[in-house]
Amino acid sequence: MAIQLLNGLVYGALLFTVASGLALMFGLRRIVNFAHGSLYMLGAYVGYSVSRPLGFWTGLIAAGACLALIGVLLDGAVFRPLQRRGPLTTLLVTFGLALIAEDLVLSVWGKDTLSLPAPHAFAGDWSLFDTSFPVYRLLIIGFGAIAALGLLLWLKGSRIGLFVRAASYDPVTSAVQGINTDRIGALVVAVSAALAGMSGVVAAPLLSLAPNMGSDILVDSFIVVVVGGLGSVGGAFVTALVLGQINVLGVVFMPELTSLLPFFLMIAVLVWKPAGLAGDRV
Amino acid sequence: MSFGRVLAWIVLAAVGPTMAWLPVSLLAKSLLAQATFSALFALGVGFLLRQNGMVSFGHAAFFGLPGYMLGALLPLRLMPPEVVICAAVLLTGVLAFVIGLVFVRAHGIAFGMLTLAVGQAVYEAATRMRWLSGGNDGLNLKLPPKLFGLSLNTLQQPTGMLTVSWLVMVATLVLVSIIAASRFGILTEAIRDNEERARFLGYRTLWPRAAVFGLSAAVTAIGGTMFSLYNAFISPDTVHWTASGSALIMAILGGSGASWGPVAGAFVYFFLKESLDSYTTHWLSIIGTALIVITVAFPAGLAGLVPWARQLIVLRQREDRVAGA
Repeated sequence: MAIQLLNGLVYGALLFTVASGLALMFGLRRIVNFAHGSLYMLGAYVGYSVSRPLGFWTGLIAAGACLALIGVLLDGAVFRPLQRRGPLTTLLVTFGLALIAEDLVLSVWGKDTLSLPAPHAFAGDWSLFDTSFPVYRLLIIGFGAIAALGLLLWLKGSRIGLFVRAASYDPVTSAVQGINTDRIGALVVAVSAALAGMSGVVAAPLLSLAPNMGSDILVDSFIVVVVGGLGSVGGAFVTALVLGQINVLGVVFMPELTSLLPFFLMIAVLVWKPAGLAGDRV
Repeated sequence: MSFGRVLAWIVLAAVGPTMAWLPVSLLAKSLLAQATFSALFALGVGFLLRQNGMVSFGHAAFFGLPGYMLGALLPLRLMPPEVVICAAVLLTGVLAFVIGLVFVRAHGIAFGMLTLAVGQAVYEAATRMRWLSGGNDGLNLKLPPKLFGLSLNTLQQPTGMLTVSWLVMVATLVLVSIIAASRFGILTEAIRDNEERARFLGYRTLWPRAAVFGLSAAVTAIGGTMFSLYNAFISPDTVHWTASGSALIMAILGGSGASWGPVAGAFVYFFLKESLDSYTTHWLSIIGTALIVITVAFPAGLAGLVPWARQLIVLRQREDRVAGA
């Protein structure tokens, strides 16, 4: 049982790191990035290619840096120019980008499933209540915890975090007050993309690399942000943890209905609170 | 409805049977028949986009559900198969209406995200519930030898199916156009443009939006029904979200400004894909780029070409008149 709870926490941590980026982007730019799953996937593949010669940790950092750069480009070339066109346009354009990214991955890395080994230091098993638990999964939980803590300190503690919150509350007034919302936007998209890419690398030893890995996590991340409240990182945190548990417990107790459980959770929350658990706040 | 429009519908309706009658290759007829299924699929997606201003990434669920319903209900022999077929379409629409009542309450852009989640939930269910859906192997439908007075053989031959599905497609298109031009259609457009103001005028805004979702699902379900009758087979691939994505692209390509836009988009998409598949494996990049270019530069899609051409002709005439004077 404890093992199952931990497994749920592992998936919850991954979901949070991907979904928090979606929530941040919505909070700031009022857009939904359909290509967010692709960023996660690209991160995983970049990490795979770099870590084969240079080791896991270099791969992780390279993926984060590479995706942050892609994030800046994405913001400058897509999100900012399309800001006035309404969220639907950005959704469709990022959908197109997701298709292109899938084709890119298929052409460069092929359609076969690839696997990335866990780093040596975390390769073993950890025994707990007479059962063993791969140590690597603890690393994923740690990664999620660091991301959550980092985001919390950044958003609530730093000056830039204050700007991010202000800009997501009211971009126009914040801009009038002298906040460079374009630069804040680029920063937020870069951070979100880097988080997505790094979670792709971290997830790779657990799940495997395949050209459809992006859309799998995208579906669950969408549920997380809608249920949590579109622009809310805190809401995403709570929902990701709950959804992680639901997924794992569902597989154990009701294997046939697992896929429908998040759907029922979603319906229940939307009937109760249409704007999501936390509303639109960051 | 003006006389010219009625004539246009009749001519359009005659195209399919004519194609079926002409000595074109069976492969071409089969492709055309399949394009009509996709056209109905996209018509549903486009109707939602036009009347509600909402995108759906989960309509494949409504495309596949009737097939699975037929698979589950036909062997029970509770009702005549024709009734089961109509009930499957109707039930899909009602189901979507009920889901819609919850979903349209969410933030506008959240709707697309929710439909993706529902679509994938149905896909997962279809792969996991092996006793009902046959899992990944799919489900062979046991159809009766005669349906609606037509033999099953006719329905599963490209020639017969093309005639039938084309007529069904045009009939559905006419119905959708009538609904779009009705009081209800105009009300939903008003809600799409400004829900707050529509509510201020004293209209309830929740159920019309859910009704549009239900109707759009029913239209898509008609296409799905034709698809499953033709193939007598349904598998989880049919309900995968990529199918919803393709239908959405068809609707955008055709443009949602006119009801016939998504239908035209579906045919263009289908034949583009068929003809490009033999040259390149980069279909995803091509269609992705096309989607971006159309969304950004030509949001009106193919349907936008008509008013554009009309304007061009008017301008040309005016120039001629000026030159003549």
